[in-house]
Amino acid sequence: MADKPSIFDEGVECVKSLCYFCHANCGVLAYVKDGDVIKIEGDPNYSSQGGLCCRGTSALLHVNHPARINHALKRVGEKGENKWEQIDYDQAIKEVAERLNQIKAESGAEAVASAGGTTRTDDWARRRFLNQFGTPNGFHNALLCWIPTFMAETCVAGWSPFETDLGAAKSLILWGMNPGASTLGGMHGYTDLQKAGLTIIVVDPRYSETASKADLWLPLRPGSDSALALALLHTIIFEGLYDFQFVDKWCDGFDELRDHVIDYSPEWAAPITWLDPDQIRQAARSYAMNKPGCIQWGCTWDQNGRASTTASHALALIRAICGNLDVPGGDGMPGPALNFLTDEEMEANECLPEEQKAKQIGSNKFKLTSWPGYQLISDNARRKWGKTLPSEWFCEAHGPSVFKAILTGDPYQVRALICNATNPVNSYGDAKMVLAALKKVEFLVTVDYWMTPTALQSDYVFPAAGALERPTIVTHYGATDSLMGGRRAIQPKYDRHTDMVFWRKLGLACGQDPAMWPWETEEEAYWDIIQGIGLPISSYNEFVDNVRMYYPPLHQMKYENGGFWTPSGKVECNSSIMRQLGYVGMPTYIGSPENPIDTPELLEEYPLVLTTGGGIMPYHHSEHFQMQGIRYIYPDPYFSINPETASEMKIAQGDWCWIETRRGRIKMRAGVEPVVAPGVIFCPRGWWFPERDAAADPDNPFGCLESNVNVLTSVDDWDCDCMGGSWANRGLLCKVYKCNDLDNAYKPEDAQWSIPGSASEPGVTVMPSDQKLCREPIPFEMPQPTKEVPEGFVWTWQDDQLYQESTGFRLDESGWLIDPKDKGYVDVYTGWRYDANQDCLFDAATGQKYTMDREPIHELAGIRIYPGQAESGFELPANLVWDIEKGYATKPGHENLVYNPDSGWLVDPETNVFYEVTNCWAYDPTFNGLLDMATGKKYTMEYEEIAE
Amino acid sequence: MTRNVMVIDQRRCIGCQSCTVACRTWNELPLDIVYNPVMTDGVQGNWPNVHRNWLPTLCMHCEKPACVPCCPTGASQQDEDGTVWVDYAKCMACLACVNACPYGMRDQSKLEPRLHRFVRKCTFCRDRRAEEPGSMPYCVQTCHQKARIFGDLDDPESEVSKLINSVETFRLLEDLGTGPQIYFIPDLGGKA
Amino acid sequence: MRHHYWEWPIPTYLFLGGLGGGIYCLIAVLTLFVFPGVAAVPEVMALPGFLAIVALGFGCLMLVVDLGQPMVFYRAFVRSTSVLAWGARLLTVCMIFGILWFASYIPWDWFSGIANLLVPAREFCLAIAGLSGTCIMLYTGIFLSTLKAHAFWATPALPVLFTVSALSTACAAIALSVGGWPAEMSLDAITESMNNYIFAEVVHELLHIVDVILVVVELVVILVMVLSFLGAGNRTANKVAHKWVTGKWAPLFWGGMIACGLVLPEIMYIAAPHSVASSVIAPILVLCGGLLLRFMVVFSDERAPLPGEEAYYSKLPDADAEFIHKWTYGENLF
Repeated sequence: MADKPSIFDEGVECVKSLCYFCHANCGVLAYVKDGDVIKIEGDPNYSSQGGLCCRGTSALLHVNHPARINHALKRVGEKGENKWEQIDYDQAIKEVAERLNQIKAESGAEAVASAGGTTRTDDWARRRFLNQFGTPNGFHNALLCWIPTFMAETCVAGWSPFETDLGAAKSLILWGMNPGASTLGGMHGYTDLQKAGLTIIVVDPRYSETASKADLWLPLRPGSDSALALALLHTIIFEGLYDFQFVDKWCDGFDELRDHVIDYSPEWAAPITWLDPDQIRQAARSYAMNKPGCIQWGCTWDQNGRASTTASHALALIRAICGNLDVPGGDGMPGPALNFLTDEEMEANECLPEEQKAKQIGSNKFKLTSWPGYQLISDNARRKWGKTLPSEWFCEAHGPSVFKAILTGDPYQVRALICNATNPVNSYGDAKMVLAALKKVEFLVTVDYWMTPTALQSDYVFPAAGALERPTIVTHYGATDSLMGGRRAIQPKYDRHTDMVFWRKLGLACGQDPAMWPWETEEEAYWDIIQGIGLPISSYNEFVDNVRMYYPPLHQMKYENGGFWTPSGKVECNSSIMRQLGYVGMPTYIGSPENPIDTPELLEEYPLVLTTGGGIMPYHHSEHFQMQGIRYIYPDPYFSINPETASEMKIAQGDWCWIETRRGRIKMRAGVEPVVAPGVIFCPRGWWFPERDAAADPDNPFGCLESNVNVLTSVDDWDCDCMGGSWANRGLLCKVYKCNDLDNAYKPEDAQWSIPGSASEPGVTVMPSDQKLCREPIPFEMPQPTKEVPEGFVWTWQDDQLYQESTGFRLDESGWLIDPKDKGYVDVYTGWRYDANQDCLFDAATGQKYTMDREPIHELAGIRIYPGQAESGFELPANLVWDIEKGYATKPGHENLVYNPDSGWLVDPETNVFYEVTNCWAYDPTFNGLLDMATGKKYTMEYEEIAE
Repeated sequence: MTRNVMVIDQRRCIGCQSCTVACRTWNELPLDIVYNPVMTDGVQGNWPNVHRNWLPTLCMHCEKPACVPCCPTGASQQDEDGTVWVDYAKCMACLACVNACPYGMRDQSKLEPRLHRFVRKCTFCRDRRAEEPGSMPYCVQTCHQKARIFGDLDDPESEVSKLINSVETFRLLEDLGTGPQIYFIPDLGGKA
Repeated sequence: MRHHYWEWPIPTYLFLGGLGGGIYCLIAVLTLFVFPGVAAVPEVMALPGFLAIVALGFGCLMLVVDLGQPMVFYRAFVRSTSVLAWGARLLTVCMIFGILWFASYIPWDWFSGIANLLVPAREFCLAIAGLSGTCIMLYTGIFLSTLKAHAFWATPALPVLFTVSALSTACAAIALSVGGWPAEMSLDAITESMNNYIFAEVVHELLHIVDVILVVVELVVILVMVLSFLGAGNRTANKVAHKWVTGKWAPLFWGGMIACGLVLPEIMYIAAPHSVASSVIAPILVLCGGLLLRFMVVFSDERAPLPGEEAYYSKLPDADAEFIHKWTYGENLF
């Protein structure tokens, strides 16, 4: 055997990089030799403490995997035939840009949409392109992942309280969150803290890795999260467990809330959640009485379809009324970064015209997470924080509705789709419909590592740079004020390009202003982002090498100074933003899309409860199925079924079974273990078979429908959350039966699609516009201003205040504007800031200072001067004269010197040398004495000559 | 004297199998070779009163390894610090050691060319430790949960000897008398 | 659980090794102790001796074939006190001296020079071959029984069983081949041929009786071994014994090994002496029984499973799973 390369060989460089295979972004040390990574290790000095999971440790296999796409590909055969021509990257960009411009000219920019997946973590370049292009139709799976929760929490308290201060916490709720399979670095912390006394409550229908370590585990019925959350809220309120003082001082509308949740008792929730009322009470007490406590953010609340935001809204209120917001040991509210550029500031949202915003697909239905809601929340955030949250992720088209628009032309025909970092067939709901849309869309461009089922349908496929080939900056989606960074270990191999470079090249080729794309590499852009921190460094790479993790000083209880960041300045128990959007302002129970109470007719055919979307360790979403080393330990899709249920159906461990909902069926192997309750089925997500011949079955390329759990999920509007648009992944009804000899292969009819999703009625039976929502909008009447609103100002009804429209600064009663960032005063007429130290005004744009009368202040060498003033405003030393024209005191014969009345020295503005007034000797710091320039003699500060 | 041992804390292990994959990539193993399988006897009990233990394994680096004396070529050997390893330059893959191991922790890869196989096994990352004294086996370093702890049992100050001397541990198939040097801290369901 | 590391060549090798060793053991005993000085005895045993060499050679070939790196089989001789290394040496010794002994009987003219040269060393060679052959018989059982990880092997009964079985199959093999070439080739002297025929019959009769006894002994040993595991023994061995006696392998064990491999030939030996059944069919059955025994024992290599081991390995993919072979590093698809 040849000697393996060693990290101690000569010429090996250790590069601080970050993992890019999931959102945890653990620290990686990459050992690079001659432009190739020879080994990687976890970085022990990063927050992940040297840990790397299955995905991270196989980064090297990823770089050189033979199935990686390395060149730009242009389709030469029919869609899905897997016939390609390798073409020059820039040529491909040019051709794509021409086509996009043509579509824009013919059908408007909105006919071009872009689908994203889980870019980790910044994706502003996509939005920067789309905004300049003029389309509002960018989207990710954001609606399944935290975004509706973030928005609901922001409606309640003004920002998402997602930065848990676990070190000081006594209790922690992990709700449907399984760091044991998703963020292992986090799991390490939880385990350590648990050992030190933290009480961990896990809410999960599955005996997950995390549940197995919990102090209290609530195995609820899948999809019943909203009922449990409401019952917890009820218990905390009616058992008086909440923080009376906090509620009294900081909560608005608490009494309304109390009356609103009066019926949601644990007894009411018990049959819905399958939990014992006492269990619910115990959990409520455990959280509310072990203060301070945290509720870790998770994605589970966003995957329950129409019941999604109800749960996250209720939990946001639980946090608030227990007084756990932004307190030590509670859930911190970081707000946007004030000293470095946020993702939002990189997005160029100002480029998107208002009329284009209105065309965003789904924004007429799911308003909280699209332009209508985002605009309200963002405007408010600007007024309260001074900056706002990014529109990427937080303000997006409704993905499933875009796919429906492709198929139906309703509300308008979407003609082109750019998929970057996503494989929608496997990661968006109703996979059969998505596949049909991808096949149908007129022009499809994909940027990916692999030939995915989506890339297969594309006209152009662009190669994406992978984990070690890109610098990674962790800004937590632009929602927090800390920042971490990793360098790229190697330049992208072959013709692979990073995402920003792709969007930039495409933007420039589409004719966008080069001034809007000043950065050729991510490193340049990231340097622009972090410059504002003011660290003594000069490049992004230097930041990584020397700082790597930037946390601003921790400020808690920020609300004590200026209130909460909601429109009313208080925690809004009855959210004004939600009401303004036409929703109930308080969490109101609604069952999951399919359940025995609301849809009893389904129960006979589909007696089991299905939960999907949970992560299983070696994979991430629909990724890594090509990675043989990972696949080897988990080669087949296994669903979980309780032994009791399995034995009723004569299903044994390892049997291939069909799992069927109203919308279709998939095949998985049975994992028979009491890991879920009897009657519950848990399916892992994302499964496809990249090893298969792509073109063999055009109905089911790469077997992407065969074991894909998204065939079973629902994206019908009435199943989606009416606020956030989350589609239904959990709490669905299904049945399971064994594959038999006659029925064990995926058939063409299994791939038939329909809108709305139904296996029995293929085709479009209800047009998207005619699809109702699960709740009718509630009309909202805007209150009229109670005072006169000057031009350039807006009046907010919640707090009865005036805000300057352009800046968002509040017009104070004193007549000054208040900048929310530092609570500083700003002059209404000029926008100059008041500097209390010097009692002057300061124009930040030019650096010019002004007097309080708005007269410019002149300075020379840092000394204030008064050109044209007849006399000095201070007493002149004997041998100085006042120069009226120049406006300063000086010494005759040395007119270039300026007298500084504060220090009593003369200063040469050019050399900054100090001269004493009497003899005009220069001060020499080298011997702390005076020097007569004319004679070269030296004197002490007491004018005594120093003998040489 | 140095006696390298590993303590595996079942209270911390969550069965993510990172060690398995990490080991695979560091040692560039063929697919069908797994040095450190993470086993579990499954979720036990009746819903919802269930419990699961994860059992991350690896070569037990026995004090009296069964796999060393049976080797006809001297390829299978033991270092002074207890590390059991195979010298590939001497191995002819007769599989005597593979059959001798009571833990099933050695094998040859069937994916390698038929006539060029040798027996592989965990070496406690002998290469890493030789290159940089004090470094950990890769599975130890990569474990997010720090469920694997490696060290010198003869050093009373080491974490492993402190753990072994203070916490109840067990070893696998101890009655075979090979003196396995992997100690497990059982998860008895309490706090970690 | 991962087991069956050893595939068919190893049991074949154990069988052939035992057989070859057993034959030389018997030849040596008969020649040197039972009929010392009777020249005809070793002469009629020449063909069995030749067969033993073939068996040993083929056995060694099996052993080498089963190696991961057959080309470097010589490493086994370099060092080590391991049982396997001793086995390899014994096999070599037995084969070399067996060949020397046999070569001295080769009647071809062109070879006579060498043959005559070897004649004085005949007894010495045979003694060495016989001794090492005996050791080989013991070694095949000891080899397995030292691998204590496999509870079913870790019993002193196994070397006894393998030795008895080796002797019994050796008897059968000799019975089938005694008096054959090269003894028949030397027909130039009728008296000698007659002499040979008589001694062939004598040996035949003797071995017949020996084999009748050995088969009974083997039957007893195997039943003692298997049934004692069935009754007591540790869990793993117990499970294997159940597999043999009442489980999946019961037909093979009872029908194949006990009935066809031992009882039926024994009945034939006793009930129908001098018939085809006794002189041809019964020895063949004994040989088949011996081979089956090696296979069944070697494939009974269950270990005490670690908790969850079974489930872990059963979830891993087959070696021919599509994704394993789909991509070859070094080749770029796109």
